[in-house]
Amino acid sequence: VSVRRKGPKATAIRVLTYAVLLAVGVIVMFPFVVAVSTSLKRNSDIFTYPPSLVPRTERTVTDADRGFENATVYNLAGRDGAYALVDDDVPIGEFRRVDGTGDVIAVAPDLATETDATVVVDGDDETVYLLAIDGEEVEVYRQRLTVGGLFEPIDGGEPVVELVNNATADKTLGPRFENFGQVISEKNVGRSLTNTMLVTIGVVVGQIVTSVLGGYAFARIDFRGRDKLFLIYLGSVMIPFVVLIIPLFQLMLQLGWTDNLVALIIPFTFTAYGTFLMRQFFLGIPKELEEAALIDGAGRFKILWRVMVPLARPAIATLATFGFLYAWNSFFWPLVIINSGNPDNGVLPLTLATLGGRSSTDTNLVFAGAVLAMAPPILVFLFAQRYFVENSASSGLK
Amino acid sequence: MLTTETETPSSDPPAPAGRRAARGDHRVDPRGYALMIAWHLVGAGAAVVMFLLASRGGDDELPGTMSIFLRIFALASFVAHAYAAFGIAKRQRGARVVSLVVSYLVFVVATVAVLHQLGAFTAIGKLGEGLSKAFVPFLVVAIGLIWVLVAGQIATSRPGSPAIGVLRRAGWALAAIGGIAFVVVSDPSGMLSALVDRVTQPITIGTLLIAAAALAATLFMWRRDVAREFETTAAQQQVLTGLAFLSPNLLGFLFFFAGPLLFSLVVSFYDWKTTGTGRSFVGIDNYVEALSLDVSSAPAANAGVEVLKPNYQVLAHLDWFGQHWVVGARDVTFWLSLRNIVIFLVLAVPLAVLPALVLSSILASQLRGMKVFRAVYFIPSVAGVIGVAIIWGQLFQSTVGWINYLIRRAGEILPFVEPPAEGHAWLSSSSTALLAMVIVFGWMSFGFNTVLYLAGHQSIPKELYEAAEIDGARTWRIFRRITVPQLRNTTFYVLITTSILALQLFDIVWILSTPQPGGPDNATMTPVIALYNEAFKDNNRGYASALAWVLFAIIFGFTFAQFRRDAGSSTSAGVS
Repeated sequence: VSVRRKGPKATAIRVLTYAVLLAVGVIVMFPFVVAVSTSLKRNSDIFTYPPSLVPRTERTVTDADRGFENATVYNLAGRDGAYALVDDDVPIGEFRRVDGTGDVIAVAPDLATETDATVVVDGDDETVYLLAIDGEEVEVYRQRLTVGGLFEPIDGGEPVVELVNNATADKTLGPRFENFGQVISEKNVGRSLTNTMLVTIGVVVGQIVTSVLGGYAFARIDFRGRDKLFLIYLGSVMIPFVVLIIPLFQLMLQLGWTDNLVALIIPFTFTAYGTFLMRQFFLGIPKELEEAALIDGAGRFKILWRVMVPLARPAIATLATFGFLYAWNSFFWPLVIINSGNPDNGVLPLTLATLGGRSSTDTNLVFAGAVLAMAPPILVFLFAQRYFVENSASSGLK
Repeated sequence: MLTTETETPSSDPPAPAGRRAARGDHRVDPRGYALMIAWHLVGAGAAVVMFLLASRGGDDELPGTMSIFLRIFALASFVAHAYAAFGIAKRQRGARVVSLVVSYLVFVVATVAVLHQLGAFTAIGKLGEGLSKAFVPFLVVAIGLIWVLVAGQIATSRPGSPAIGVLRRAGWALAAIGGIAFVVVSDPSGMLSALVDRVTQPITIGTLLIAAAALAATLFMWRRDVAREFETTAAQQQVLTGLAFLSPNLLGFLFFFAGPLLFSLVVSFYDWKTTGTGRSFVGIDNYVEALSLDVSSAPAANAGVEVLKPNYQVLAHLDWFGQHWVVGARDVTFWLSLRNIVIFLVLAVPLAVLPALVLSSILASQLRGMKVFRAVYFIPSVAGVIGVAIIWGQLFQSTVGWINYLIRRAGEILPFVEPPAEGHAWLSSSSTALLAMVIVFGWMSFGFNTVLYLAGHQSIPKELYEAAEIDGARTWRIFRRITVPQLRNTTFYVLITTSILALQLFDIVWILSTPQPGGPDNATMTPVIALYNEAFKDNNRGYASALAWVLFAIIFGFTFAQFRRDAGSSTSAGVS
């Protein structure tokens, strides 16, 4: 408020103000950043701790001279340097020192030389092996024979065998853009996307037509009972949709419209709010413009089309934006009316809800779908902000 | 208030009352009237048949009520048709209006019926398939149309430029090529053959004929010379024009809003299950079932249903005045959902409103970059609740979710933050599940409320702030003494609308609650989820309708409070 003041105190307040705004901005944007990052991740990369915003990929290396191609790079526990995994199915022996000291030693089984001696471990006789560790022969026994990976040091040197558990992949930045293509083609999001477009276009066009005609009648044609009728229209805004859900479902059942996209379009092409919006706008257009045309003998419809509609473009844009957001995001009614077992009639929110539901797998694909669903309304909002912000504010506060 | 306007009499088709058309010049063919009378007599006959059929009693849904509605409808159409026929014969002034309304309605109903029989409506749904098959041509059409629009915009700013016309035609051509490609790729041959099948059925042809006759009748009566002959007044003509413009809206409103609303009210008085056959009128039993509570004192703390009336289940245990009480309800789930939604309201509404009040005060101060912040804050409310809920589900994840991670990190840095138990499961523990919903709701709604508040800020007189600045008042004092009181009306409106939204909480819970919607253990059960389960899982439509009306009554309380306040203050409810 006190922005025009000068001096160190005012500067401090200003800095603090921006800090608060920025902090809230971060809280608002952070979930979206997480969404975009998750949509670009590999599934194995999502359930790691600590969580990370960077979509990572495993680094690979190719060295034709040493005979490996696109080998994944690993860091090995207890060893320096990076290693390329050249074979992930080599036999490994897990040895322990006979005296019980030290950790498990995992090496290729043939490195240990079998002896005739035995040692008793946990009541079992175990054969004693000799194993060279740091140039020193050590008596060991074999705990387990398993398989592991053969790792070549990238910078050259002796290859080592190591349990895969002791190896962590060396990850670098690597977004996986295929998630989007995959979710569109495999998870039926493509079909839902076109369905949602169809529904949205239908609802928006229908709402504009009925609202322009109705708004014009309420604003400019002075017939008996008009104002009472308009009050009923206004009152209808108060009725929550929950009350209509059951009878509308029954109506759709009677019409044979269940599990059909038409049930998402036709009932929503009539909007009291849109009619109200258009009426308010038409009221603001000077009557002289219309009267001149009326005297010229033009019909009502021609006046509406030629004079009023071009003037009402901002109001129509507002209405279109609202209709778009409503139709694109609506979930409850599709959930009721579209059979979730039939993916062909799904719309995006519905498909996403099924996809990202309680038994969901492929979290990266779910998020790719979520990003695809959220991007259009956000973009429309950013482009149509002028209409949108002004009218959200004025819709109720007139 | 609503404006009235005077029409220029000469502008509308009908001549003012009392001015007869010059005889002989525009004499309407009397055979036309004879046909009109015949048309209405046939209509009246059809209405009688309908009345008799309805009286026989249907075997369909809600026989009693439906048949009453049908009979009233038939009676009304009989009266209208008969009056129209009689009035046309006598050239009565009102007859033209009634005849036009009746014929137009018959035309609309018959046309819709024809389209329905042809499967035109369900074909809209099938269009989804075509769209997915022929998406690229669809894009071409869209680009072509946008091209035309853009060219049109340029044309208005630079009129008379021939290049624009060419550009515009190119856009149309592009759209046309895309359209042809769309038809070819989407391959509608199956749909066309089905259409031909249906169009040759007698009932379709019959309805089509009725529609054509009704259209002819409407057009005939609409004629100017007919209007003149009936001496239609300007006021009557206004009613006709007004209703004609309003009709698409009004008919849809009646069919998809008013009718269903009435039906819902009727159904709420029925025991109406879709699975069973019984559909009996039960009066207010559904409402009694939903709202019944029983409080009973109990001898011991472990008392259960045995101290309650039959059919009641334990809702809560209370210890008041050294006495143990057991509260029981017949529909425990619904009462739990009411308890949850009250808790939700108390927590979520302040979270969605208070930050908005503070932030809007900062944003209103015209600092640089405020529009950017405003836009950013608004994004969550437009992004779509399902996507948002999915993101938050991941954030709340117990082992690798960001929320637990950040709290843990904060616990490492700050001494007073107690790190949660290892991997606290926000969504699957009853104590925090509802809180998680509160956070998501608050996060989604505060930006929208901020914009509402910004509108309120515009109405605060700037002089108030200037005076305060001269007095050297501190920022906090200005906020408390000027901003908050001046925004009282806005605050009230924002509180009410947010509460109404919160009462209908559904989507967030549907996605986030686990293991089933409303879980765990009904901890996030909301009234709308309870209603959904009753209506579409248990197929208890009558009872669910009653729940809907109970919920509506609660919501209406809030709306009514807003309305009363509007009526009391100078701002009106919207009719400006």
